[in-house]
Parts: sequence; C-alpha cells; structure tokens
Amino acid sequence: MSVDLTTRIKNLKLKNPVTVASGTFGTSDEYAGYVDYKKLGAIITKTITVRPRPGNPMPRICEVSSGMLNAIGLQNKGLADFIEQKIPYFRKLGVPLIVSIAGESAGEFGLLAKTFDRFRSVVNALEVNLSCPNVESGGVNFMKKQKRILDAIKAVRCQTKLLIFAKLSPELGDVLEIADNVLKRGADGISVINTLRGMSIDINGRTSRIVRDFGGLSGPAIKPVALRYVYQVKKEFGVPVIASGGISDWRDAVEFLIAGADLLAVGTSNFVEPRATMEILKGIRVFCRKEKIKSIKEIRGSYRPRDQKGKGCSR
Amino acid sequence: MKKRFDEKAIVLENRRINDRYYKLVFSSAPLSRNIRPGQFLHIRINEGQDPYLRRPFSYFRTSPGKVEILYEVLGRGTLILAEKSKGDPLMVMGPLGNGFRTAIGKRKRVLVAGGIGVPPLVNLAEQFSSDYLLIGTKSKAEILPMAELKKVKAKVLCATEDGSVGFKGFVTGVLEKVIREEDSRQLFIQTCGPKSMMKAVMAIAAKNGIEGEASWDESMACGVGACLGCMVDTKTGLKRACADGPVFSFSELVP
Ligand SMILES: Cc1cc2nc3c(=O)[nH]c(=O)nc-3n(C[C@H](O)[C@H](O)[C@H](O)COP(=O)(O)OP(=O)(O)OC[C@H]3O[C@@H](n4cnc5c(N)ncnc54)[C@H](O)[C@@H]3O)c2cc1C
Ligand SMILES: Cc1cc2nc3c(=O)[nH]c(=O)nc-3n(C[C@H](O)[C@H](O)[C@H](O)COP(=O)(O)O)c2cc1C
Ligand code: FES
Repeated sequence: MSVDLTTRIKNLKLKNPVTVASGTFGTSDEYAGYVDYKKLGAIITKTITVRPRPGNPMPRICEVSSGMLNAIGLQNKGLADFIEQKIPYFRKLGVPLIVSIAGESAGEFGLLAKTFDRFRSVVNALEVNLSCPNVESGGVNFMKKQKRILDAIKAVRCQTKLLIFAKLSPELGDVLEIADNVLKRGADGISVINTLRGMSIDINGRTSRIVRDFGGLSGPAIKPVALRYVYQVKKEFGVPVIASGGISDWRDAVEFLIAGADLLAVGTSNFVEPRATMEILKGIRVFCRKEKIKSIKEIRGSYRPRDQKGKGCSR
Repeated sequence: MKKRFDEKAIVLENRRINDRYYKLVFSSAPLSRNIRPGQFLHIRINEGQDPYLRRPFSYFRTSPGKVEILYEVLGRGTLILAEKSKGDPLMVMGPLGNGFRTAIGKRKRVLVAGGIGVPPLVNLAEQFSSDYLLIGTKSKAEILPMAELKKVKAKVLCATEDGSVGFKGFVTGVLEKVIREEDSRQLFIQTCGPKSMMKAVMAIAAKNGIEGEASWDESMACGVGACLGCMVDTKTGLKRACADGPVFSFSELVP
C-alpha cells in the first residue's frame, strides 16, 4: 500500500512534509552521501541577510541536557553571493526551496523579498526570520517592538507574491498575538519555533560556555514547547504551519502532524543523525501502513483534547 | 565528493593504556579504508540523548576491517565512552575532514604533538616516513607506551614539564633544538595539540621561516560543515574546521 504524503500549502504542492530547519543543513551539498536531497519535501535555507555577516567569534556551540546552545550569529555570505552561487545550485537540484531572510530594517526585508521574487522559478516561499537570538540589530531583542515585526512583514508582502512564513518564538512575546498580527498584515503561514534563549556556565571559568551570555537552545529539550505552539497556532488560525523544535525521529514527526503541522523541519537532529530526514520519512510511511492510513491528511491536525468530564482526582 | 559513511561499528576492545589515554578498537570495513592521517571520525556515543551530540576523534590506527582511536577522558562524553565494552555498538561517521599533507617534497618532516594531538600524528608517522616526532606531556606517566610507538617511522623525542623523562620543559624547547641542529630551510612542521602549544610552534616556525600545518580542533556539532559551529579564522576568511580543515597551513591561519 502506498501512502500519500503529498502536502499542499496554498498553491505549493510538495511530495512530502519533511524539510530541514534553517541553519542546520548547510548551504549546498554538506549532507551528500547521507541524504538523498531529492527525497526531501522542501529545503529551508540558512537565513540570508542583505550584506555578508561574519557571525560571532568562537566558541559558538555547547551541549546541554538533551540539546545544544548556539550563538552562530547569522553567519552568511549575503544576498548577492546567494543569488550568484546558490540559486544556480538549487535550480539544478530541483527541490522546492524556502529561503529564510532577515533584515535590520523594513527596507532590508523589502529588498530581500523583492530580489527573491525575481527567482520564483526556483524559490517557492520565504521564511521571514524574526526571532534570531544571537544578533543585536534584527534579532529577537530588536524585534520585541512589535511594530518592527509588522513593518517587516508588510514590507515583504508589498514586494512579493511568494508564500510568506513568519518565523516566531516565545522570546518575542505572546506568540499567538504576534501570529494574529502578522497574518493580518499578509503572512501566509507561521513557522514555530525558533530557538529559546538559554545559558550554560563553565564552573571553573565562571563564565559562559559560549561566546555570548545566552545562546539559542535547540534539540529535544525544546520539543514540548514547539509542539504546544504548533498546536495552538493551527487551532487558533488554521493557517499553514512549519514546525521546528526537537523533531528527531518519526514518532516526533507523527506527534507534530497530529498537532497540526504542515511541514516538519528537522534541525539539530541532522547533526546527531545525518540521515535523520530520510529515517523520519521512512518511519512515517511504515507507521501509516501499519495503521492503515492512506494519506497523512488523516493524521494532520487530528489531536483530540481529553474528555475531562467526570474525571476528578479519584480513580 | 569523497565517500563518507555512517556505520554501526562494534567495539572490539576498550581499555585504559596509561595515566592519560584510553584506546578503543572497533570493527568496520568501510571506515578502515582510504584514510588520510589527520582525518577524523564523528562518534555517537549513546543512542539516547546523553550525551546528545556526537564527539570527534582522530584516526589513530587502521587495519583491514578495524579502526583504533586513542582518547582522553575530559568530560561526560568521553567518560561514557570509557565505559563501553566488547560487543557494544557505536554509530560512527567518517572519514571526515581534509587530513595532513603527505607529500612534502624532499623536506624533513617534523611532527609536534601534545595531548589529544598525539593520535593523528602517530598515525601520520606510521604511514609516512617522518624525521622527528616530538611529544610534549606533563610527566613520564602520560607518554604513550613504547608499544604504541613501535611502528613510528621517525625519531621520537619527548619533553616532560617535570623532567621525568626526556627534555625538561615544553615540547617547543625540543623543536628549537631540532631547528638549531638541522637546516631549517629543509624542514616542514606538522602539529596538533592544545592551541597554546600550536600557537607557540607557529611562532617558532615563523621566526625561522619554516612552513607547516596545524590541525586546528574546535568543538563540533555536525562535523560536515552544516552548522557553522567550528569556525577558524584564516587569511581568506572564516573556514569550517570540520569540512575545510581540520588541517590548515601555517600561512593560512591568522595568528
Ligand atoms: C578533529 C578533532 C579530532 C579530535 N581527536 C581526538 C582524539 O584523537 N582523541 C581525543 O581524546 N580527543 C580528540 N578530540 C577532542 C574530543 O573531541 C573531545 O575531547 C571530546 O569531544 C570531549 O567530549 P566530552 O563530552 O568528554 O567533554 P566535554 O564535556 O565536551 O568537554 C570537556 C573538556 O574538553 C574540552 N574539549 C572539548 N572539545 C574539545 C576539542 N575539540 N579540543 C580540545 N578540547 C576540547 C572542553 O573545552 C572541556 O574543557 C578531537 C577533536 C577534534 C575536533
Ligand atoms: C546551529 C544552528 C543554526 C541555526 N540558524 C538559524 C538561522 O539562520 N535562521 C533561523 O531562522 N533559524 C536558525 N536556527 C533555528 C532552527 O532553524 C530551528 O528553528 C531550531 O533549532 C529548533 O529546531 P531543532 O530543535 O530541531 O533544532 C538554527 C539552529 C541551530 C542549532
Ligand atoms: S561542526 Fe558543524 S560546521 Fe563544523
């Protein structure tokens, strides 16, 4: 029995819901030999900024319980390099592409959107990163003023017909309120969650184990938080949702589908299991076959709250 | 692109060999072939989430179907690794990274090793004839046992900080002695170890106009160039230790 994994997001048709989270999959063929790129439902790129960014000094990463902290700081070669070097690569690859963008002003967001709009034969959607914890200007602190978020989304919407996902995290404030506002300003969907800010101290040096005091926490440690927001956003607004946060195996993937995720973005897990995306894809298929599920549409958003009637503390 | 693997390897042997090092031998045919000294393996120590990320280890020795690594217990990951016993499975990615230059013309090869930099340089010295292998440690008890150095095709000179064996002081002292005795224009240095040691080696090399390479280890997450967690500052911009390195020429590294 073949299982229908096709996933439709407005006018975008993907062969399956498995993708990779921004910044966790390199910029071209880093996982060649481990991953059959053509099997991915889509690829989400590392966040692109207008100008090149060197990122933060070392050390940028450390392990914490069931996850890691990172302070990469949006290192990327900038818009011009991406257009010149990567667009031809992705055009040839032929896998649906979601480009992650971040700006330091509405003007920059607009410029990024306008530029990628010219490549609609290669780029299928934009993920507007509003929640990077590791940079000052354009990062999560900067975006805490909701007007900046809304101006960014408006600027992007004005410049492109591409699908727009706003990438949010609870670090910005009330996710549901912000989601409501960005959707009203033209975003098509929501991507939740970006990393949460965390801290880890080297007890000998009495200082941070990474270059900044705080870094972005990712991995299984944040999965319950991600799952909650995916569920809430889907339930509240019914819009397309890209899920990221600790998706590590097919069980996690099915959980996120039940909560209502449209796309499953595998992040930190790629570092631990280079074939994570492929294994997840296989696992979802096997699960569906076993459960006699013909299409993942049958699972997506199928969460049922427990019936609480008559259930007190006594057993 | 070179072939890379992620293999379920089986531990054949894992034991402490002296005050400093443990040796782990595992079986895996694909991981034991076509290796360049200086390349590394990325090991998932446990199936679960403790430890969560993989840990990188240099190739120490290979034989058909077998791979050896030499490691120090420094933190939680290596502590758990030290508890593995015969028959235990390990998921191992490799071979990763670029490795050392093996062809250096007619020059004399001088290898300068300290701490966790010893395994890749012993690997190099076993496969490619070298002239000197200089090893620095705190004391005699920490030097790799002679049995592990038998196949090294180089003159081994040790430096101990307490003078319990060999030269008393840092390994850079031995390096300076070698440079005085040899024609420095004919030397090529390859180094791996603590950053402070490698920086001192590079300073001496620069002063004497000697070329060389350093294996610049950084903490790693992905090991394949995807996360940008392991950057090294070079004269041609930031490079990834895991994918563009870990070996960089002295002239490339920003001091
Ligand atoms: C390319 C490469 C090759 C390596 N080869 C070997 C090897 O052959 N044998 C070996 O014993 N170790 C090697 N290492 C270092 C090894 O990866 C670390 O010692 C190990 O990850 C520590 O894990 P842990 O969980 O025990 O310690 P953690 O809790 O992660 O760290 C414990 C301590 O070790 C230090 N440390 C962590 N990573 C490194 C590193 N990369 N370099 C130096 N210090 C580090 C930390 O700063 C900390 O002080 C190599 C590292 C790299 C990048
Ligand atoms: C090393 C690293 C780099 C990241 N870079 C970006 C980035 O450039 N843009 C972005 O929107 N999110 C970035 N993220 C966040 C991930 O895309 C993802 O939302 C988050 O890590 C949660 O998913 P995970 O737990 O599966 O990793 C990064 C995460 C990590 C670990
Ligand atoms: S460890 Fe991820 S880029 Fe080097």
